[in-house]
Amino acid sequence: MPRPKHYDIVIIGGGVQGLSLAYNLALRETGKIAVFDKSYIGSGASGRNGEMIRSAFGSEEWIRLFDTSLRLWETLSAELDFNVMFTRCGYLVLASTPEDLAACRTNCKRQNAMGLKTRMLNAGEVAELIPSLNPQATVGGVFQKEGGVARHDAVVWAYARAARRLGVEIFPYTEIVAVNVDTAKITGVRTIRENVLTGIVVNAAGAFAGQVAEMAGVKLLLDVYRLEMIVTEPLKPFLQVALSSPHFLAYMHQTARGEFAGGAEPQNLSPYLGLKNTRHAVQDMARKFGSLFPGLRGAKLMRQWAGIVAKSPDRGPLLGAVDGLEGFFLNAGWGGYGFMGSPAGGRLMAELITDGQVPDALYPFNPDRFATGQAIVEPTIIGAAEDKG
Amino acid sequence: MSKKMVCFCQDLTDADIVRAIKEGYDHLETLKRFTGAFMGPCQGKMCAANVVKLYAETTGHPVEDLRIPTMRPPVEPISLGSLAPEKGGDDDA
Repeated sequence: MPRPKHYDIVIIGGGVQGLSLAYNLALRETGKIAVFDKSYIGSGASGRNGEMIRSAFGSEEWIRLFDTSLRLWETLSAELDFNVMFTRCGYLVLASTPEDLAACRTNCKRQNAMGLKTRMLNAGEVAELIPSLNPQATVGGVFQKEGGVARHDAVVWAYARAARRLGVEIFPYTEIVAVNVDTAKITGVRTIRENVLTGIVVNAAGAFAGQVAEMAGVKLLLDVYRLEMIVTEPLKPFLQVALSSPHFLAYMHQTARGEFAGGAEPQNLSPYLGLKNTRHAVQDMARKFGSLFPGLRGAKLMRQWAGIVAKSPDRGPLLGAVDGLEGFFLNAGWGGYGFMGSPAGGRLMAELITDGQVPDALYPFNPDRFATGQAIVEPTIIGAAEDKG
Repeated sequence: MSKKMVCFCQDLTDADIVRAIKEGYDHLETLKRFTGAFMGPCQGKMCAANVVKLYAETTGHPVEDLRIPTMRPPVEPISLGSLAPEKGGDDDA
């Protein structure tokens, strides 16, 4: 029998969070690192999301975490030596009712107090920014000029290549079937092929984080939801900014190829978790996007797809060590915000794992917060239903 | 390599596909996302046979072992307006 492989750190999940973490750990020279994914890298929500990026949220906790991320996005292509097509086109949260507008104003005040350069727009300014928008669908909004979009697949490949160059080993199509624990301590994992020894396992398994945690005997408070998106044939430029609409629970942008890409959540999220599309969802999206952009009613739908996400009770990610199981860390439960949060998620989790100290921006997202009554109140995230990035 | 078009939506030649495979996009799912093949208005209906054959020849994987990327709806591009009639929608389908 050959001796089992040994790694200092094993990351479960080759999505944008797991790969960002692997890269950031390797930068800190933390020894041998392996990333395992049950499918191709970026096969989950990392390659299925809306590609939108902002830090303009409503709570101090979310603003601090996602603004750390936004700063990293600005130089990410240069840092990783790979064009991730980050475009600082601006991000508008649209208000369609007086209540929406009041919420935007409260959030904008908090954002400005924390140093974000966001500003309120009135209906006329929104019309000037997006002339194709239905004037009846808007009363204003809050605009973050520094927000934008990036190409999701490119971000996955960029982190993977940069991590490999630093010696990280990445194993696609290598599902983890067991997490080995001995007296409250991680000892290794078993893949579909072999046993692997390690003292540290990071659960970055996205929608499957709950299942991975169960392998280690840990129960996570995560609900899994499916979301659907559509993309149209390429169109002439008509939408220059990333746009989300809390009123329609919708988010959208126009890609560099000219396609309109967007998603919307129905009022009641579907319990069905397969990746097949539903007619109900495409009709809901067609109606909402047609209301926001009357010109889109004639645009041709090219493709529709689905992705699944795991959401925590307060809809914020679970980031940190698991109490009572030495060597087990979580980077999970991003609930649709993991793409925009990936530069910060990987950077801060690498700091936590190597230094043993919890970075300030990460502390509020510690996985124990529900047991200690410290759940985060993020006003732009209402229940399961809000705009996604 | 001669210049042969393999994907008419994204103007991909055989050389584009082979270069992408050599750069490490060596699985059909990553090749699709890197080159844009299967992702244009034809959604793979014109390019799939070309791309899969070329992929099999370049990588040595037998064609019959390959899983072609999921064909997503709709079969042909259709207008958003036809999916969301302004009156009397068809919600309960």
